[in-house]
Amino acid sequence: MKLKQGSFLWYLYLDKLYCLLSVRNVKALVEYFHLLDVHRKKTLNDVLFYHFLHHVTDLKRNQITIVFNMLDWNAVGEIGFDQFYMLVCILLAQENHLEEQFIFRHSRPIFELLDLDGELKIGPSNFHMYNFLFKIKKQQLRDLYHDFDITGDCRLNYKEFKLFTIFSMNKYQESQKAVKEEKAVPEKKVSQVNVSQRQSLLGINHFESISNYNC
Amino acid sequence: MEEKPFKVRTLPGPPHPVSPQTHPRSTLGPSLAILSLSPGSGQLPTITASPSPPRQLSLGPGWAQDTPPPPQPALPFLPNSPRPLASLGVCGLQALAKSSGHRGSGKSSPHDTRNLWTTATQSQPKLNVPLPTVREDSELEGSSVGGKTRWSYNQKAGHDSDGGWEESDDGEDKDSFKPEELDEHALMELEMRRGSSLGGPLEEDDSKTDDEKSSSVSSLNISKHTPHRAYWVEQQSRLPLPLTELMENEALEILTKALRSYRSEIGRDHFLTKQLQRYIEGLKRRRNKRLQVMVI
Repeated sequence: MKLKQGSFLWYLYLDKLYCLLSVRNVKALVEYFHLLDVHRKKTLNDVLFYHFLHHVTDLKRNQITIVFNMLDWNAVGEIGFDQFYMLVCILLAQENHLEEQFIFRHSRPIFELLDLDGELKIGPSNFHMYNFLFKIKKQQLRDLYHDFDITGDCRLNYKEFKLFTIFSMNKYQESQKAVKEEKAVPEKKVSQVNVSQRQSLLGINHFESISNYNC
Repeated sequence: MEEKPFKVRTLPGPPHPVSPQTHPRSTLGPSLAILSLSPGSGQLPTITASPSPPRQLSLGPGWAQDTPPPPQPALPFLPNSPRPLASLGVCGLQALAKSSGHRGSGKSSPHDTRNLWTTATQSQPKLNVPLPTVREDSELEGSSVGGKTRWSYNQKAGHDSDGGWEESDDGEDKDSFKPEELDEHALMELEMRRGSSLGGPLEEDDSKTDDEKSSSVSSLNISKHTPHRAYWVEQQSRLPLPLTELMENEALEILTKALRSYRSEIGRDHFLTKQLQRYIEGLKRRRNKRLQVMVI
């Protein structure tokens, strides 16, 4: 999923640490929502919602339907601002590659969104269904159920899910560290090479100067 | 577009895969908070080349810690929303959580100076104390969003004093403050709130810090600047024009596509279609007017 460049959402800034919008950004988002709220019900119906998402993202029709059903858990056929705000945060988190962080920070709301059946447990099919939103890879999903399904019923309750989010967050941070170190290592190597080059050059110059002196 | 247009639901939508009655979210939905900016630190979302302009957000530690009961859903902008609570909150939640933790649970130590402020503030008959001695609690932005603003004693003063709350200083200021000035401040506060319940408190910080620095400045000087400040606050609370234009243009595009779907699905004569059409025309008119003004 990618946000359309230059669209309104593209200019919003999601705080990287807390994965939330600022008050000012939310204020702008409220204005935007009011513009789309044609029927003055403080909601968006499925048609408006579809055209909105279709306009600002590259999501397909069935994916938009899935998102709509996920947010419209009351089955009233409309999305309020609260759900709209949550969706925007999810989209921005994905755009900024902050999925792990987002799930970690907002594990409770995410769990409740994924828990379609209201059984306070999430099956692998739910994860699979929303994969395009949260980008949980297949291997990751397998590990998730292998490592964290403590009750052994192939479904995760909130505590298990929370454990998973902590674990994945740790993993994410480690990978970030590794990337940073990798970036730092070539720089060191380059600097070392430069130093050795300089030394060798100096050595040559020294040699040259000695030979000149001998001559 | 190859895809089939959506069907307009004039009646409540088709049954959800889940029975909403059994779903726990039917009573309490997921909610997210909104970040509380430190006053004056944030900027309105302006249009820049980068999608993620660097912005410093001062956040108290520990908001984001997930607590088993979901945070109280914040519905500051749409208090009359018919929707129940599947909400992401707005940035003031950390403060709410914090404050409820301190005040409600009673876990904080009895020597905590914050308790003193709280009890002292509650015992104050008038919370409209002069600005130099009072600072709007940044933690309460969440509540100010909902249209309520609470005032508390300056936290800085509390920190500077060792285990003490400088009540005597505040008291002196209060004594020297005249009732006419109180009225002026009340008027100013009202004026500022009239502009916007959101932008106002955020913009107040600069002037507040000035006030704190020059605590000896007489309140007459403050009242001189009152209309300017209110005007300034109102100006600041508006969205920048390019952003408004961008939003309107985008909304127009989306709504025009939606209108096509409406026409094809429910017909041209349906009242929803007509309503949408009128709305689009209104938006276009507004945009044209603005363009004309800009040209002039």
